Amino acid sequence: MFNRETWIEIAHTVTANPLRTALTGLSVGLGIFILVVMQGLGFGLQNGVEQDFGDEARNTVWVRTGRTTLPYRGRQPNRYVQMRNEDEQRITEQVVDAPAWSGRRMMWGSTVGYKNEQGNYPIVGVEPDFDELELLPLMGGRWLHADDLAKESKVCVVGENLLDELFKQDEAIGAFITLRGITFRVVGHFSKNGRWGNSMVYVPLTTMQRVFNGSDEVDQMVLSTGELDLEGSSAMVEAVDGDLRMRHSVHPDDVRAVRVRDNQEEYAMFERVFTGIRLFIWVIGGFTLLAGAIGVANIMAIVVKERTVEIGVRKALGATSGSILSLIVIEAIALTLISGALGLIAGVATLNAVAPYAEHDYFADPEVNLRVTLTALAVLVVAGAISGFVPALRAVRIRPIEALRYE
Amino acid sequence: MLALRGIEKSYPLAGGSLPVLKGIDLNIAQGEMVAIMGSSGSGKSTLLNVLGLLDGFDSGGYDLDGVDMAGLSEKQAARYRSQFLGFVFQSFNLISFKTALENVALPLFYQKVPRRERQKRAMEMLGKMGMDDRADHLPSELSGGQKQRVAIARALITSPRVILADEPTGALDSTTSSEVMEVLREVNASGITVIIVTHEADIAAQCDRTIRLHDGVIIEDGRSGEVVEPTARGARSQG
Repeated sequence: MFNRETWIEIAHTVTANPLRTALTGLSVGLGIFILVVMQGLGFGLQNGVEQDFGDEARNTVWVRTGRTTLPYRGRQPNRYVQMRNEDEQRITEQVVDAPAWSGRRMMWGSTVGYKNEQGNYPIVGVEPDFDELELLPLMGGRWLHADDLAKESKVCVVGENLLDELFKQDEAIGAFITLRGITFRVVGHFSKNGRWGNSMVYVPLTTMQRVFNGSDEVDQMVLSTGELDLEGSSAMVEAVDGDLRMRHSVHPDDVRAVRVRDNQEEYAMFERVFTGIRLFIWVIGGFTLLAGAIGVANIMAIVVKERTVEIGVRKALGATSGSILSLIVIEAIALTLISGALGLIAGVATLNAVAPYAEHDYFADPEVNLRVTLTALAVLVVAGAISGFVPALRAVRIRPIEALRYE
Repeated sequence: MLALRGIEKSYPLAGGSLPVLKGIDLNIAQGEMVAIMGSSGSGKSTLLNVLGLLDGFDSGGYDLDGVDMAGLSEKQAARYRSQFLGFVFQSFNLISFKTALENVALPLFYQKVPRRERQKRAMEMLGKMGMDDRADHLPSELSGGQKQRVAIARALITSPRVILADEPTGALDSTTSSEVMEVLREVNASGITVIIVTHEADIAAQCDRTIRLHDGVIIEDGRSGEVVEPTARGARSQG
């Protein structure tokens, strides 16, 4: 059945009808191509957003403040709302019951020196829980302890970039570096994705407040929502927001002065969008596939009808029904398989060609879901086989003399 | 060579069945040249289907070369067709995308003859038909008479014992017709039984024996010169 002669015979019939070969190939190839590209773009979008979220634990609430935009209770607008240690203390002790939290304060472009090397890096003051809130994978040494904060120790944890750029071959842990001219001891280092993530130098918040600013200011707060569901975390957001607005006399509608963002809610929103996009891709992909399958079925039906006479001749010349059926079915399978594979290759090539130009915060690594694609290809091949088999079965059942007078 | 005993066949129709062959008794000896005549609907095409093992029958017996053909499987029938029978058709039925040579070689493909051997034998057969200079032509590049020569070459390639020709000259002008009949007579002279279905009296006249079919039964059977009843002109067989 699968000998060389059969293939020569198939190659002959396929090349003898270039138009319908091209049409079948196009309907299958295009179907697979569209499916691959759509899936790839969908995945790219999802990857992009997931990478964006990868920085932070999903069950966190970020609290930020800014300048007021609305007058309220006799206060003029354009006043900067500054959170302080007392706010953090009050919120974590009285307003909400967060399992973990951290204040955060950041100093961009700080000069960091080690021996003769120096560079500019952001220094970030945080508290011990921060590494769980922002998912910082520690690669060596230790993270900041409660003890470091209590003693206002001059210790720091540095990102991978500093290892490469400042320490080079030297052992970083235990080394002394200067942050804005003040000597700190490195106790740990970490590695994470992203442009800025690896350039950070983390120091205890208390040390930063004492050494660099001499104040009790906190720029941001991160609170863990623990095991709370979306409803619970939303309640937490409400409570924190309400408390800050009341304490700092901020208008309830002022969206700039107090910003409390729930990662879980944002992620849930993106999840909903993705579910929608995925569904959309599936529906389009499904219909593309269906159109391809119908195209193949249509063409095969016409082909077999066209070849009814040929089938009759072959039977009269000693062909068995089985040999004719297998000829047509193998032909249909070969045709769909080859054109499907071409569509697959074209789709992957297109994605690879487009990917470098489509770099964006919300788009990364458009990948081809091979399982989905191969399933689609299998569906089309089976559709091709069936749509060849059914009319061919009808054709071989026609008595040859009738078939030969078919014209 | 061929022996039919009381062959009956009917085709199922909605709400009953249509009897087409109503008891055919027929003996054809090796080396005979026989014309089967009859008007449209007389059952001659069905008889040809049965003789050619392209269709079964309801009752009766059919011996081909002394072997009972009743209840053959599809596969066995295909093998006997391939070994014993050669077909020639009115509309030639050459496969349009194959060259003359490939068309002639096709029956050998179904006998699983190796490709090189097929080509060689097909070329020899085309030579015998005086068509070897047209071996690489597609059917569309051949005249009617040339097409029928290729078709006869194709029927003869497997060295069959019987050639079944269905209106072999139906699509040809009178000059070409007589050329083709000449070829068939030569084939017959080599010892091969030739059975021609036709509605043309002058074609039948060139055979040794004429059988006339009417309404599913044989009404006349005799030497060609003696079966004289004219066939209605214009009643070209449609099956």
